[in-house]
Amino acid sequence: MGNKTEKNEKNNIICRCEEITEQEIRDAIREFDLKTVDDVKRLTRAGMGLCQGRTCARLTARILAEETKRKASELYPPSRRPPTRPVEIESLARAEEIEN
Amino acid sequence: MNKNTDVVVMGAGVIGCAVAYYLAKKGCRVIVIEKKERVCAEASGANLGGVPLTLLEPSSPTLEMHKETLKLFDNLSEETGYDMEFQRVGLLTCTLDEGQHSAMEKLAQGFQQKGIDVKLIEGDEIRKCEPGLSDKIAVGIEEEETGILNPFKTTHGLARAAKKLGTEFLLATEARTIEVDKDKITAVVTDKGRIGTEFVVNAAGAWTPEIGKMVGLNIPIEPIKGQAMVTEPVAPNQRWRYIMDAAYISHGSAPDEDSEDINMRLGITGGWIQENTGGWTIGSSHEANSSKAVTMPTASCLARKAIEFMPRLKGVHCIRAWANLRPYCYVDDLPIISKVDSPSGFVIATGHLGAGVTLAPITGKLIAELIIDNKTSLPIDAFSFSRFNNQA
Repeated sequence: MGNKTEKNEKNNIICRCEEITEQEIRDAIREFDLKTVDDVKRLTRAGMGLCQGRTCARLTARILAEETKRKASELYPPSRRPPTRPVEIESLARAEEIEN
Repeated sequence: MNKNTDVVVMGAGVIGCAVAYYLAKKGCRVIVIEKKERVCAEASGANLGGVPLTLLEPSSPTLEMHKETLKLFDNLSEETGYDMEFQRVGLLTCTLDEGQHSAMEKLAQGFQQKGIDVKLIEGDEIRKCEPGLSDKIAVGIEEEETGILNPFKTTHGLARAAKKLGTEFLLATEARTIEVDKDKITAVVTDKGRIGTEFVVNAAGAWTPEIGKMVGLNIPIEPIKGQAMVTEPVAPNQRWRYIMDAAYISHGSAPDEDSEDINMRLGITGGWIQENTGGWTIGSSHEANSSKAVTMPTASCLARKAIEFMPRLKGVHCIRAWANLRPYCYVDDLPIISKVDSPSGFVIATGHLGAGVTLAPITGKLIAELIIDNKTSLPIDAFSFSRFNNQA
């Protein structure tokens, strides 16, 4: 990562699940003046796929930090949405029976 | 940081952004203040993204708003230069309860009398069109004007369009007090400075009562938790991408806390939308609860209800769940779209419960008309704040 990647912005896939490029992420940040990883996710779908950003959330944060001239540690932490890994709808449906 | 403006809008959710956009379109100077660090921070980003036409009883005063909002959405992407992914996909409202057959016939007639083109479809025919639906579905009502959209892109798109027309967004900014002189609003004081203004639009969603208190008003809104989830992508449905349990219309959406049925206590109303990606959004609860936490009993009830109607979802994975707080008017379950008698200049736009994104454009348009023209293109008496006078 870092500045060296800028040359390849167009082809650099950041979110593999949703196939979102670095360029798309940078464009959204600039166009909408985004400040949070969650907003990048919501407008580009980076991190909305099967892995829910497990791979790309940090990369997105580094791009966002670069664009907004802040340290990644200064960004608002991204929200963590359950479930922690994909779970079948039927298992969810049965969960309460088990508890009962 | 002291400023002056024509209107201060409280809240950068979808209603606040729509109000700002329609005001700015009419040439108004607007400042939106939002206590969170971003737009679309709460319930506007935690819904299903549906724009249903036939969400409530045909007699509901909101029906005309549903009709108008769909027309506005038809042009909104082009108008704002940003694709909100709005599409007219139609809606199938159906029931598993054969005993509801005559009620469904009546409901269809009711919508037809209001000029809405709906069709009653028997269960067998429904399954012919959509083989994935349950054998237990008895009867349904099909309607073709309903739409779906991307709620994030809708809210951000409205905000961006408002900005292009000169609206200023002050994020991470909290209102502290509202200054009133001789019963007229003169300023909003925030943690970052004073903003001189004659008008305040309270579009703070579930938090509107806090803003109301600043001018001594008791706004009858309480938070209702809405939880939903989305699945991994699956093959597209053939005919209906938006399906709703008819109980939504007949029972209404408010929870019944005394019920022995957990579905009634959690206000579970089945509504399902297949997104462009192929994932199914599974909604939604309406819980008397002020926590935004996703909870297991709710997820479980939502999953069960979805499987009852769409057994094929059994083996499909849920990848994300969410919840947030929607503004519910506990007096009559209708929105508040209104000026108030006192103080002059205070305007309220809230109480849409699960229809905030749905009704945002028409609400924004009506509020702009109310403030600038002092008359509205649709009757809004049913949504007036003065309707609470006798109930205080």
